[in-house]
Amino acid sequence: MNNGSCDPGDSEIVHQVLAGNVNAFEHLLKKYQNYVLGIVRKHMPYDQVRDVTQDVFIRAYQSLRTFKGDSSFEQWLSTIAVRTCYDFWRKRYKSRELLMSSLSEKHQRWLEEAISDKATQSFRERGLQKEAKEILDWALERLSAEDRMVLELVYLEGHSVKETASLLGWSTANVKVRSFRSRKKLNKLLSKQIGHKRSGT
Amino acid sequence: MKSLEEEYEKLKGILARAYQEREKIEVGDLRPEGVMQRIRKLGAIQPTPTFPEMFEPFVWRLAPVVSLLIVGLIVVLLAIDFTPGHDVFQLLMNGREELTLAQLFGG
Repeated sequence: MNNGSCDPGDSEIVHQVLAGNVNAFEHLLKKYQNYVLGIVRKHMPYDQVRDVTQDVFIRAYQSLRTFKGDSSFEQWLSTIAVRTCYDFWRKRYKSRELLMSSLSEKHQRWLEEAISDKATQSFRERGLQKEAKEILDWALERLSAEDRMVLELVYLEGHSVKETASLLGWSTANVKVRSFRSRKKLNKLLSKQIGHKRSGT
Repeated sequence: MKSLEEEYEKLKGILARAYQEREKIEVGDLRPEGVMQRIRKLGAIQPTPTFPEMFEPFVWRLAPVVSLLIVGLIVVLLAIDFTPGHDVFQLLMNGREELTLAQLFGG
């Protein structure tokens, strides 16, 4: 995360947009589209990335008055991007049905092989591709939106608790508690699947 | 045989790498012109309202209630009998030297 001060060029463009020059926003859009796409891509399903990224820029435009220039525009935009992703999952999880199904036989076999001592380098490389992504999605789908975001930001992306708190607009204590609980939940979910396979049920 | 914790850590490493792979997924162009079209539809950002402007909508929303309260208060005031108060006032003005507490309290 960029902690630097605001680029004077960005500040100037923001100033122009706030003064009524709507078209000036296009400079910011073009400059940061790949950066925002990079953030959204990690949190969203493939088919939603483009729409959510567009929503991020719309939301940024609507909230532009809240940008005070204390931090870089990039940092401010990353906060909006993460919160937009979080809102997406909150809405999605509200309307979803309770997911009870366990992993398919194929995925359980993959899990078993992944944790075994015999897992070869080629398996690890091959395994990264499809099944690992599917198992990760399967597990994340079974967590709450809050747990999902914390887990992704802290454990999978390696953000600090403070950074995560700032990105989500939560207190650091809340992030600490959530990250501990979400990790436990993920641990339980995966261990259950490993145990499931071992018990042969 | 490894402990569950060890197995989990190993798995977590694999899943974390799978997660990082997501960054490489190609999603194509964002279509900035589509975003700008939506933004233009929203129009220019409105300036921050001043303190009195912030209360303006509330003033108009509360106006009918306040008017009704004023009318109600006038009706109540007209309906109340002021005579006792007026009598005491007259007593005070006219016969101050004879005024005793007993008179005041109707004795």
